[in-house]
Amino acid sequence: MSPRDEKRVNDPLDLQAPPGQARAVQPEDDEPAPATPGSGADSKGRGRDDSEKLDQYLLRRYHLHGDRKAREQLITMYLPLVRSLARRYASRGEHFDDLVQVGAIGLIKAIDRFDLSRGVELTTYATPNIVGEIKRYFRDKGWSVRVPRGLQELNIRLNKVIDELVPKLQRSPTIKELAEAASATPEEVLEALETSQAYNSVSLQASPNGESGEEDAGLIDYLGGEEEAYDTMEDRTTLAPGFAKLDKRERYILHLRFFEGLTQSQIAERVGISQMHVSRLIRRSLEKLRDEIGDLDSPPAGHVADAGSR
Amino acid sequence: MAETITLEVPATLSALSTVRMVLGGIGDRLEFSYEEVDELRLATDELLQAALETERPERLTVSVEVGDGALRLTAGVFRTDDLRVQVGVTPGGCIDLCLLLRSLMDDVSVESAPDGYNVVLVKRGAGSGA
Repeated sequence: MSPRDEKRVNDPLDLQAPPGQARAVQPEDDEPAPATPGSGADSKGRGRDDSEKLDQYLLRRYHLHGDRKAREQLITMYLPLVRSLARRYASRGEHFDDLVQVGAIGLIKAIDRFDLSRGVELTTYATPNIVGEIKRYFRDKGWSVRVPRGLQELNIRLNKVIDELVPKLQRSPTIKELAEAASATPEEVLEALETSQAYNSVSLQASPNGESGEEDAGLIDYLGGEEEAYDTMEDRTTLAPGFAKLDKRERYILHLRFFEGLTQSQIAERVGISQMHVSRLIRRSLEKLRDEIGDLDSPPAGHVADAGSR
Repeated sequence: MAETITLEVPATLSALSTVRMVLGGIGDRLEFSYEEVDELRLATDELLQAALETERPERLTVSVEVGDGALRLTAGVFRTDDLRVQVGVTPGGCIDLCLLLRSLMDDVSVESAPDGYNVVLVKRGAGSGA
């Protein structure tokens, strides 16, 4: 394995991926590289200008010449932006480092899809990509409200339509254009777009009733900390891998159900969500556990599953 | 600006969905691209969520002036320094909410109001020439 291949295998962000529009790699670029911001005695006064020039230079190097080192340098330069944006969402129950990783994927997509002819700054283009990726992560974690199947299907259709229309139109399509291409109304398209924000309705920062007020605690305040009982249970029942797949709220609800013996209604009252929602969360958690333990013959898991429906 | 649409909603997360939907409809009327609509909704959502966390108001008022392929959104009235600092450029630079709003919108400003201040966001459609 060559050093480059080895690096690629070890690179979780796949920094070595080829650019979408890259031409054949040129051995040299005649254009002189701008100074790296911060290097040089007079960099203080013109840091932003230097930074923009360097962005453009590196983007050209990558997109026109396939210079992957330029891509890596851009990623490194903009990781502080990713951290800054990830910090906004770090209080919503996810690890900061995970959000940085997810945001970095958005950054890489922005760098790869950047259109040199648009004349916008990379920061402007990358920010919504990074935030979008982080929000998608929250949505995919299952914190969204249940989206009607019709809208889910429209969402999938819209993603496909967008991928087709952007290169065809050489710009972002309007809502009407999307609606026409997806055989939907503009209102339905807007509704589908709205579902991408659905995680807000159960943000862990929100109070259980969705209202704001100083007296209201956030859902996050209802989450349990690390419980020694989890370790014991994991050891006893071989469920450790499954538990690792559960989020804090799911573990907390399973704890209330199976360790404290609360009914679903009591859990609903304690956590501030509906009994139906508790039921769904328990079912989903148990499905995750089952998926994780696979074919293991585990009576305790069966016992847990049976107990969940009470 | 040709016309003004004013929304007054309860200061709850679920009400923000209503604001986003209305903004989507306005963006559609202005023939914004879906990306521009998404940016408008995201910026407004982030501003209002920050307001919910820092201001804890009972109700939120969002006023949108529409015309010439652009819109001017005024949210408020806010009173805390905390939100004003988050929106503005601090000695440490434009970070966090400030960075987000300025990346997504064409103009971000704070205007004095009788009982506090409003945050004003401006979005112009790429095809508007505005």
